[in-house]
Amino acid sequence: MIVTVLSILLIVTGLVFFLGAAVGLTRFPDFYCRMHAAGKGDTLSTLLVISGFAVYQLHGIDDFTEDWPVLLVVLKLLAVVVFIYLTSPTSTSALADAGWEDGIDPVIEPGHENHLEDDCRKPSSPQP
Amino acid sequence: MIVTFDIIILIFLVVAAIIALSVKDLLAAAMVFSIYGFLICLLWAEMGAVDVAFTEATVGAGVSTVLIVATVLNTRRRSSD
Amino acid sequence: MKAKIFASLSVLITGAILLYAVTDFPDFGDPGSPPNAGVPGGAPSASRYYLENTYRDTKVPNVVTAVLADYRGYDTMFETVVILTAGIAIFAILRVLRRDDAPAAPDPDPARTDHTIDGDHHRIIVGTTCRIAAPLIQIFALYVVAHGHYSPGGGFQGGVMLGASFILLALSGSLRETLTRFSESDYMRMAFIGIVIYAGLGLLPMWVGRNFLDYGALSGLFMTKGEEMARSHSMLGVEIGVAVTVMSIMFAMFANLSTRGRLRGGL
Repeated sequence: MIVTVLSILLIVTGLVFFLGAAVGLTRFPDFYCRMHAAGKGDTLSTLLVISGFAVYQLHGIDDFTEDWPVLLVVLKLLAVVVFIYLTSPTSTSALADAGWEDGIDPVIEPGHENHLEDDCRKPSSPQP
Repeated sequence: MIVTFDIIILIFLVVAAIIALSVKDLLAAAMVFSIYGFLICLLWAEMGAVDVAFTEATVGAGVSTVLIVATVLNTRRRSSD
Repeated sequence: MKAKIFASLSVLITGAILLYAVTDFPDFGDPGSPPNAGVPGGAPSASRYYLENTYRDTKVPNVVTAVLADYRGYDTMFETVVILTAGIAIFAILRVLRRDDAPAAPDPDPARTDHTIDGDHHRIIVGTTCRIAAPLIQIFALYVVAHGHYSPGGGFQGGVMLGASFILLALSGSLRETLTRFSESDYMRMAFIGIVIYAGLGLLPMWVGRNFLDYGALSGLFMTKGEEMARSHSMLGVEIGVAVTVMSIMFAMFANLSTRGRLRGGL
């Protein structure tokens, strides 16, 4: 019972973060904000949803008729969680870096543009 | 096999194929082609052909995208038609 | 414009004909359809034979791997040869052995084209993560190769994943550093060694007077009880051969395509 409630809670929280990521991806003004929403929302929500699956699998943990396949599934799901935790922020960072080096300007307040100069950037292109 | 899921994947598949053909930027076309590969992988996994889906996920969506991107970056990036 | 209209019309007409033909297909997974049940009064179905007898013949639960590596081993061997041929073709077309007549790269500045990790803090994150992730990918790929006849997977998938781990190292770090670990002479040799493993395992049964690729004759070599386990073990060996070839050719393709065959600099 408590396992079911916990897993439903985790999966629903993950879906809420997914919704936030999707809304942010369409509504934010520039590339970096959208990248921020997509990267952070995706990582956290995927982690929560897969952890919810892992918790849900704990149902048959006291069933000793089959020898530990349940625990094996939980361990595999946790390995997926660790791998996503490792790679997803890195890909977000790589994409944002590529955008910065390619000369995409963030939307900033007027009067604060002076830190846009960086020697590893291309000259800034006009916003499409 | 779930028919609703099938139809959703097939619609996305056609949309991805049309976008990959019509986009002028070849790098973007390569990325959309990768999405196409993942969708086909999903379709095959959903139909029960897990071995083929595995091959498509590794070859079609993984390595071939890298090879296409490497080729595009060494030639012209704009499509001519 | 006229050509586009003509092309669209022909595509639409062909699609309509194909969609019309789809209505005559048997249902999905229909056990009474001719591929599954055979033609009445004609030849019996091959797929039914495989589904019913694979485990009895080879002790391999994954029917797909058994068909690919055992029943239709000849096909798979020449598929591997096709991949080797593609790699050799790319090598022959692109590889520039003398540096003088190499065509100019699009960006000749070496600081930008060469991917270096040192001193460039943007790439530290990506490089570190990829160096952590590459061994994990390789372990999973070895699992896929070795477990291919019990679960989905096999030589092609595992080989592509092994090659992808090297491609990941070359993309995130530097191609030069990866080439010191997996050099050109290494990967070209290993591509041929994979074929030799496959064909050698196929040739061994001919030693004792059986057919080519008839692995059941190897039960003495593998010291197994019956011929079934010998076939199972031979499938593992064959898949290792496929994986070695595919891994080497994938990395060779990437190294030649991304540097215009000079194996210097980066993407």
